[in-house]
Amino acid sequence: MTPASGRAAPHALSRRANRSRSEAIIGALLFATAAITVVTTVAVVFVLAEETFQFFREVSIVEFLTERRWTPLFAEAHYGISPLVLGTLLVATIALAVGVPLGLGAAIFLSEYASPGLRRQLVPWLELLAGIPTVVFGYFALLTVTPVIRALIPGVNLFNPLSAGLVMGFMILPTVSSVSLDSMQAVPRSLREAAYGLGASRFEVVTRVIVPAALSGIIAAVLLALSRAVGETMIVTLAAGQRPAFTFDPRETIATMTAFIVQAATGDQPQGSLSARALYAVGATLFTITLSVNLIAQAVVRRFSEQYE
Amino acid sequence: MTTVDPTRTRAREDAPRVGTDHETVRTDPVDADGAVVDVQGLDLWYGAAQALYDVSLRIPRNQVTALMGASGCGKSTLLRALNRMNDLIPGVRTEGSVHYDGVDLYGADIDVVEVRRHVGMVFQKPNPFPKSIYENVAFGPRLHGFKGDLDELVERSLRNAALWDEVKDKLKQSGLSLSGGQQQRLCIARAMATEPKVILMDEPTSALDPIATDRIEELIQNIKQEFSVVIVTHNLQQAGRVSDRAAFMHLGRLIEEGPTDKMFTAPRHEMTERYLTGRFG
Amino acid sequence: MSAAPQAPEARGGWTVGEEAKRGRARRRHVGRAFAAITIVPVVLAVAFLATLLGGIVTDLFSWQVVASRNSAESFAWRQAPFGGDAVVRLELAAQGVDAAEIESTLDDPEQRRRFFARNRVEFMLYTDQGPFRWVVTNMRDRSIELVDLIPGFAQRSDLEAALEPGQRLLLNPWLDGGFFQRVASRNAVSAGLKTALVGTLIVILGVVALAIPIGVGTAVYLEEYVAKTRLARLLEVNIANLAGVPSIVYGILGLSVFVRLMQFGPSLLAAIFTLTLLVLPVVVIAGREAIKSVPSSLREASYGLGATRWQTVWRVVLPSAAPGIATGVVLAVARAIGETAPLLLVGAAAFVPYMPEGPFSPYTVIPVQIYSWISENSAEFRHVAAAGIATLVSVVGALYGVVFVIRRRLERTRA
Repeated sequence: MTPASGRAAPHALSRRANRSRSEAIIGALLFATAAITVVTTVAVVFVLAEETFQFFREVSIVEFLTERRWTPLFAEAHYGISPLVLGTLLVATIALAVGVPLGLGAAIFLSEYASPGLRRQLVPWLELLAGIPTVVFGYFALLTVTPVIRALIPGVNLFNPLSAGLVMGFMILPTVSSVSLDSMQAVPRSLREAAYGLGASRFEVVTRVIVPAALSGIIAAVLLALSRAVGETMIVTLAAGQRPAFTFDPRETIATMTAFIVQAATGDQPQGSLSARALYAVGATLFTITLSVNLIAQAVVRRFSEQYE
Repeated sequence: MTTVDPTRTRAREDAPRVGTDHETVRTDPVDADGAVVDVQGLDLWYGAAQALYDVSLRIPRNQVTALMGASGCGKSTLLRALNRMNDLIPGVRTEGSVHYDGVDLYGADIDVVEVRRHVGMVFQKPNPFPKSIYENVAFGPRLHGFKGDLDELVERSLRNAALWDEVKDKLKQSGLSLSGGQQQRLCIARAMATEPKVILMDEPTSALDPIATDRIEELIQNIKQEFSVVIVTHNLQQAGRVSDRAAFMHLGRLIEEGPTDKMFTAPRHEMTERYLTGRFG
Repeated sequence: MSAAPQAPEARGGWTVGEEAKRGRARRRHVGRAFAAITIVPVVLAVAFLATLLGGIVTDLFSWQVVASRNSAESFAWRQAPFGGDAVVRLELAAQGVDAAEIESTLDDPEQRRRFFARNRVEFMLYTDQGPFRWVVTNMRDRSIELVDLIPGFAQRSDLEAALEPGQRLLLNPWLDGGFFQRVASRNAVSAGLKTALVGTLIVILGVVALAIPIGVGTAVYLEEYVAKTRLARLLEVNIANLAGVPSIVYGILGLSVFVRLMQFGPSLLAAIFTLTLLVLPVVVIAGREAIKSVPSSLREASYGLGATRWQTVWRVVLPSAAPGIATGVVLAVARAIGETAPLLLVGAAAFVPYMPEGPFSPYTVIPVQIYSWISENSAEFRHVAAAGIATLVSVVGALYGVVFVIRRRLERTRA
């Protein structure tokens, strides 16, 4: 068994060189795939930051934040982001006003009042509602909802934030309801028993024990829904309009940040021009807002989740 | 109170034979006006499976009654039948009656929410709400429209639960910040705050360490002046220490009941004797 | 009306007697009202979904009064059960064309091509001559009037009565076989989904091919290879954040990096890469859930037999986690199919009347095509858009159905 070269023969139990090498290679490959997600984030931040930086060499931040006009294509161009932000928030507010109460109500019904069988049957439909492409919602908003609203309420434009907001409310309903539902189901059964044992009715158990205990999850649900509403594109592009306006009236045509980005990308602005760079500045603003909301949501969940041991 | 050692028991030679259609063996039976709760002919089904068979039992006033038996014998089910907690389980059917102060709790127009005000419950694992200590105790009274001095009621309940001195300076802190034993005493205080007549306890110390267990057993002895206690326990020594009266159940049937010391030293039914000597369960 | 057990001697503070009874009654009524109210949101959500789907379905049909350049004749379904050439023969005969010429039109490739460039065989649900009939429509038929489905039922007899010679009334289903065989067109009647279908298919295949290895690889790395260090936590948080980034931002990323920087241009390749990044968090998160739920006893058994980490992952963990991972992939596909905004940004064209020839030629995908049809702002294109939407929603619904089935099977085996 002694090889001619004089080296000791490998023991049966000692490490195999080629196997550990292939394991190492696989480990490296897997790390590379995970790194792609990091690279993506870095790329997003870098792309947005770089172009926005270039943008702000020509447009002052003060104007960007305080100017009330967004008119990049005019001869005398103005670059105030507030009409776009306001338009976005207007639609988002209406959407939350619809989606949060309905979503929370649905979650309460499914969690506390529906039998497990009924719950199992209804939840897939809510998931489907969440999965419908937003261009379909946009179609519905523009062609079905808007005519009805215009018939009911005077003074509503063809493109208006009200229709878009209403439909968007139903789009975010599943987000609110599923996250809230998970949060409520996570409340331990022992707490419900304790409350019933003290003579609480089901309504009282829900309002005085379950909802307060699940509050962090519910707040997170609302924040996630807000983030989705702010970042949504197709419903607002089709139904809310593409004309920036600084207004609080949901009957007037507006433009959201996302609608402008679409408009700018499908228009023919020469690349590198200021009006083309504006796309990135708006994109950066959008990204910052949604990222902040998401981070706050995560913090809320973390802070309150050590509740019941 | 005598501690009974269940290993030194023997069946009495003249113990009556009981057939398959059981008849509960009763020693020194409780009479009607000494009973705070009177269970008569209680049957209970979980869906198609019967869990309680024709149980009749009188719970004496201002005493501690222990329900014992092997796992699955129905003692917890019987306990929960006393405050209608079984109603929360879908598919449960109950027949028979449970009389409390002359009223059948399973009667047609009984408000179950009120039942639970008068018959309180403490659970196996301490389950305080994720609220402040004060709010935990005040929860019940607030529900039922207590209009008087809430601070006084909270303090009184916490004193009765032997917890007041430990928490009086931190009533606003979360109930979950307390130790396991303290949490259970908080749950007892919470149950007492609705001023029930009966307090049900479902294995209240099985999740606690021996020291905490000790304190709660002492507590139970003290509160029986004001409340009647029904306690489910699988710990025979505890039953012997804590209870005045004991009821032994097997497979959904009440086999024997009577004063604890008499039952432990001289059980009259063969099953009871086998259980007490550890042959099963 | 409910009795309470005899209350203890009224200890100070408890409301008793009538007031207590009223209080209890109030609690009961509030409870019942609340229970009723909580049903409302679910009902509204279902009603919304039903209205949405119903609206799409009714938009799939329109009543049209058409001035026909052909014979204005229609032919019973039974006369030509498979449509096609048989209908053409009937039509040409009705126009008075003699038999020999009919055959040559159909046999001679050049004549055939010219005929079918201008004419189309269509199946109508209803014509003024009766239900379920074939017609041959000419590209230059003039549309006199267009009425929506529901109002049309009411107006049908009036419309029929007002028909002039050479005109006919058609109940036109916009979603028919031909819809999938036609490419985009400026003419609503000839518009079809073919280009978009091909584009979507290629993009989805590409996304799946990329997202599965990368996404599953990341999930495996996070769950099996890396310790629970700060680095791992950072990666987790990063992925959670990426999941919440609006899809249009991915479009901006794709535009800058794939279209411009890497010079893929507005191509299918750019679309594939952009959408892959977009759905990656979905796959990773679903994959991690699936891998986490593989019982550690299986892993221990494998390691105990002397397997390496990768062998355990490949032979034990992944097969066990496969249904959960599949769910994630299907959800990712459902998402990718419906995304419009990012593709608009990376250059999916709104109007592509021919099939893409290579990875760098102009292309379009279904949602972008729908978007452009809606933006045409015409009554006819509205119906074409509805046809596209019906297709898209059906596919998405089918995908969710698959997810549902997988999940139910998973529950059964777990239980």
